[in-house]
Amino acid sequence: LVDKCIGSRIHIVMKTDKEIVGTLLGFDDFVNMVLEDVTEFEITPEGRRITKLDQILLNGNNITMLIPGGEGPEV
Amino acid sequence: DKEKKKKESIFDLSKYIDKMIRVKFQGGREASGVLKGFDPLLNLVLDGTIEYMRDPDDQLKLTEDTRQLGLVVCRGTSVVLICPQDGMEAIPNPFIQQQDG
Repeated sequence: LVDKCIGSRIHIVMKTDKEIVGTLLGFDDFVNMVLEDVTEFEITPEGRRITKLDQILLNGNNITMLIPGGEGPEV
Repeated sequence: DKEKKKKESIFDLSKYIDKMIRVKFQGGREASGVLKGFDPLLNLVLDGTIEYMRDPDDQLKLTEDTRQLGLVVCRGTSVVLICPQDGMEAIPNPFIQQQDG
């Protein structure tokens, strides 16, 4: 399922109250993920954190959920 | 010495396919959804997922802070509990104790 998302928007929910929305470039066996055009959200304070461009490598250790096509808590 | 190299699940999730289940995660999140798929690492695919968040208010009760998530993949590494939304289901005891005669 996850590799169908490569190239599209994906929304990653961490174990903590943090979410990352970005375009999925790839992932590995441990589900570490490489994302592009990333926005980081913090759930509780209801604020949007930093918008990071370029690419990030997200450590799969803390990933709880992967939501294809998600936009996160942006209202 | 024979080593069991097979990845045997002690629990058969195929019984829950297409059923509503509740999943709890490390970090206190809970989600309910219809189980669409899984793998031996316990990654799950849930459809029509509702996510519940724990607040300081919440403690053990599920708040109204829910989100509809649709189709999601849940990481097996952070799953701590899986149960049917229906209620509990009894399974045959997999740990049969041998009694000494």
